[in-house]
Amino acid sequence: MALLETKSLSKSFGALAAVKDVTLEITEGSLHSIIGPNGAGKTTLFNLLTGAFPPTSGRIIFDGKDITGTPANRVAHLGLARSFQRTNVFPAFSLLDNVWVAAFATGRSWGGLLFKKSTNYPEATERARAALSDVGLLPKAHVAAREISHGEQRQLELAIALAAAPRVLLLDEPAAGLSPEETRNMVALVRKLKGRYTIVLIEHKIDIIMSVSDRISVMHFGSLIAEGPPQEIQRNPEVRRAYLGGIAA
Amino acid sequence: MNLLLGQILNGIATGMLYALMGLGLSLITGVLNIPNFAHGALFAIGAYLLVSAANLVGNFWVGLLLAPLGVALLGLMIEYAGIRRLYAAGHDYQLLFTFGLALILNELIIVIWGPVGISQLPPAILRGGVDLGFTFYPKYRLFVMVMAGMLVLLTWLFLEKTKYGAIMRAGIENKEMVSFLGIDIHKLFTFAFALGAFLAGIAGALTAPIRGLSPGMGVDMLGIAFVVVALGGLGNLLGAIAAGLLIGVAQAVVAAYWTEASTAVIFAVMALVLLIRPQGMFGIR
Amino acid sequence: MRALVLILISICLLPFIVRPAIASEIWIFAIFGLGLNLLLGYTGLLSFGQSTFFGSAAYVAGWLLKTYGINVFLALGIGVAVGAVSAAAVGYLCVQRSGLYFIMLTFALNQLFYFIAYQWTTVTGGEDGMPGIPRPEFLGLNFKDPLVYYAFVSILFLLSLYLMRRIVESPLGKILQAIRENELRAEAVGYNVPRFKLLAFVIGGAFSGLAGVLYAMLFGIVPLEAISFVFSGNVVFATLIGGSGSLYGPIIGSFVFIWLSESMSVVWARWPLLLGVAFVIVVLFFRGGVVEVWNKVFAWRSSKQRA
Repeated sequence: MALLETKSLSKSFGALAAVKDVTLEITEGSLHSIIGPNGAGKTTLFNLLTGAFPPTSGRIIFDGKDITGTPANRVAHLGLARSFQRTNVFPAFSLLDNVWVAAFATGRSWGGLLFKKSTNYPEATERARAALSDVGLLPKAHVAAREISHGEQRQLELAIALAAAPRVLLLDEPAAGLSPEETRNMVALVRKLKGRYTIVLIEHKIDIIMSVSDRISVMHFGSLIAEGPPQEIQRNPEVRRAYLGGIAA
Repeated sequence: MNLLLGQILNGIATGMLYALMGLGLSLITGVLNIPNFAHGALFAIGAYLLVSAANLVGNFWVGLLLAPLGVALLGLMIEYAGIRRLYAAGHDYQLLFTFGLALILNELIIVIWGPVGISQLPPAILRGGVDLGFTFYPKYRLFVMVMAGMLVLLTWLFLEKTKYGAIMRAGIENKEMVSFLGIDIHKLFTFAFALGAFLAGIAGALTAPIRGLSPGMGVDMLGIAFVVVALGGLGNLLGAIAAGLLIGVAQAVVAAYWTEASTAVIFAVMALVLLIRPQGMFGIR
Repeated sequence: MRALVLILISICLLPFIVRPAIASEIWIFAIFGLGLNLLLGYTGLLSFGQSTFFGSAAYVAGWLLKTYGINVFLALGIGVAVGAVSAAAVGYLCVQRSGLYFIMLTFALNQLFYFIAYQWTTVTGGEDGMPGIPRPEFLGLNFKDPLVYYAFVSILFLLSLYLMRRIVESPLGKILQAIRENELRAEAVGYNVPRFKLLAFVIGGAFSGLAGVLYAMLFGIVPLEAISFVFSGNVVFATLIGGSGSLYGPIIGSFVFIWLSESMSVVWARWPLLLGVAFVIVVLFFRGGVVEVWNKVFAWRSSKQRA
C-alpha cells in the first residue's frame, strides 16, 4: 500500500525545470532510495514533499489524502519528518532541547504554552530522550549542539526528525561528510530504523544504497529515468549512462 | 494649477535627492546585507561639510566637490575600522554598529556646528528664479534637479556598464560566487560603502541651500531612505530611483493640499504598498 | 536565587540613593527593556520601533486619565491593551518580511506614528507633549506621593519580571529561541514562524504599553520623544549594554542607561555621544553586555581561586 505518492510532480524555477513529471510510490514500511547525479533534482523533490514550496504542477498524496501545497510547518504535523543535507540544528541549544522542540511541536497538546515550564511536559521529554537514545547521543544530552563533532551533528540531525514520531522519514544524505567509520554507524542506524518507519533516502554513497534499500528510483535532470530493486538498477543501462555519461555501457 | 505644477517640480527635485539616497542605501544594503543606520547622518554631514568647506574656501563649488569626498572618506573609515571588524560576529552586530555610529555622528554634528539650524545660500549665479511661464521657479532647485539627475544617471551607468559596476551588482546577487571568482570581497564591501556614503554626502550637500541645515536632518532623511529602499526593492537600483522620484512627487503634491500630513503620508503609503505587495513595487526578493 | 535577592535589595535601597522619581524611571525602563528583549535576545528580532507601542499606550491612557479621570488600574489595563494591539498591527506588517526588511519596517512604522503624533497637536500636543496627566487616588492609596508611586511601580516591575520569566521558561520561550537559532528548521519541525514572531511582538508590545502608562503617570506628561526613534534606540542600547542574552540584562541596562542619562545630562548636553561610544564599544568588544563581563569576571575569579 503506497503511503506516500507523487503524481506527475513538477517544479520549475523560471526557465529551469528542476523536477519534471515525477510519479513515485513509496510503500509503507519500505526503505525507498532516490539517487542521481548532482543537480538531478533530488533535494528539490524533498523540498516539494515537505512543503518548502508548492509544485508548479502535479500532486502529492499522503495516506490517501492530497497534501499538495501544504506549507512546511503543517507537513510535520501530518507525519512526515525530514533531515537536511546541510546540518540544520539549533546551535546554542543542548542536544536535548534540540530534539525537545521537535517533539513538542508534534506533541499531543500545546496546553500551557506560555506559562508551563518546558521541563514539565513528560510526553515530549520522553520522545526527545528516546530519539537521542536511538541515535546514541543520550549521554551528551546536555551538551550544546555547536560543541559536538560533525559526525555527531549528523546524528543529531537525524534525531530531530525522529523526535517528531513521524510515519515517514525523509533523509537527505545523512552520511554527508562522514568518515568511513561514522558512515558505518549511520548505516547501522538507518537499518535499525527500517521497518519502524517508512523511509525515503537520498544518498550518494552507493554501498549504503545497495545495502539498505528495498527499492531505488533514479533521477536525472529532474526526471525519473529508472526504478526498481537494487539489483535491477545496478544493471540498468540508462542509469549507467546518467552517471558515466555514456562512456561505458 | 500653477501651484500644483510648481509643487510637482519641487517633488521632482526632492525626488531626485531621495533617489540618490535610496540608491546609496540600496547599494550598501544589497552588497553588505545590512541596513545602514548611519546613512542619514552621512547625508547630514555632507550638508554641514559643504557649509564649512564653502565658508573656508569662499567658493560653493569647491565645497560641493569636497563635501561628498569627505563623506566618502568617512564611509571608508567606518567600513574599514568598524564594519569589517564585525564581519565574523554577523550582520546583526554590523547593523548595530551603524546604529551606534549614527548616534555618535548626530551628536558630533551638534558639538562641531552647534544645535541651532544654519542656512546656506546657493552660489551667486544660481540665486533668484527663472520664469517658466506658469511660475517663477528658483534657479537653484532647477540646478539640483539637473545635477541630481545626472548623478543618478552616472551612478546607474557606472553600475550597468563598467566592469566594477558589474562586480558590484554581482556582489548583490551572489557574494559567494564573487568571492569564489577571486575578487576580494572585503574590498568590494569597502568600495560599496564608500560609494553609498558619497551619494549620501552629495545629496546632503545639494540639499543644504534648499531647506537649510539642522542637526535633526539626518534622522528625518534616514526614514525616507528606508522607505525608498523598501518600496524599490532591496538591491534593486532602478527600483530605488523610481521609488525615490515617486515619493518625492507624492510628498510634494500632498503638501500642496494638506501640508501637515505630507511626511506621514510617505510612511503610510509604504505601509500600504508593503501590505499588498510585500516585496515592494519592483522588488523581486 | 542570587539575582532575585540582588534585585529585591536594589528595590529597597534605591529610593534612598536617588530620587524616588528616578528610581521609578529605572524600573519602568526595565519593564520596557524586558519587553524588547523577548524580541531581541530571545527571538533574534531586531525591532527598532518599540517606542511606537510605548508612546501609543502613554498617549491613549494619558488622555483618558486626563479627560475622563479613569482610575489607575483601568489606565494600566488600557495601556497594556493599546501596546498589544498596536504591536499586533505593526507586527503583522513586519513579520512577513525577512530580516532586513523587518528591521527597516519597524523603524519606518515608528516614524509614521511619530509624525502622526507630531502633527496631531490637538490631541497629542505635538512638540510640546501632552501635559496634565494625573495620578488619581485609589482606595486610599495616594499615588501622588513619590514613594507610594515608587512602591507601586516596583511591584509592577516584579510582576513583569515574574511573567517574563514564566514566558521564557515556557515552551513558547524555547520555540522563540529555536526561531532565533534556526528559523528554517523551526518551521520544518512544525512551527508557524510568522505567527510566533507576531505573538512575541504582541507580548513585547504589552510590556511596552505597561511601561508607557507608568511613564506618563510618573512625569505627568507624555513628551513627543516617548514615541520617537531616539526612544526606540535608547531601549535597544540599554538592553544590549546590559546583555541581551540574559533575562536580567535589560534590568542592568536600565540602571546603566538611566543613571548615565540622568547624571550626565546635567553635566553635558551632548551626553548621548558618550552613550553612542559606550554602545559601539559594547558591540565591538563586549557583545554579551555587562552580563557577559560579569560572568567572565566571575569565571576568572573562580579559576584563580582554584589555582
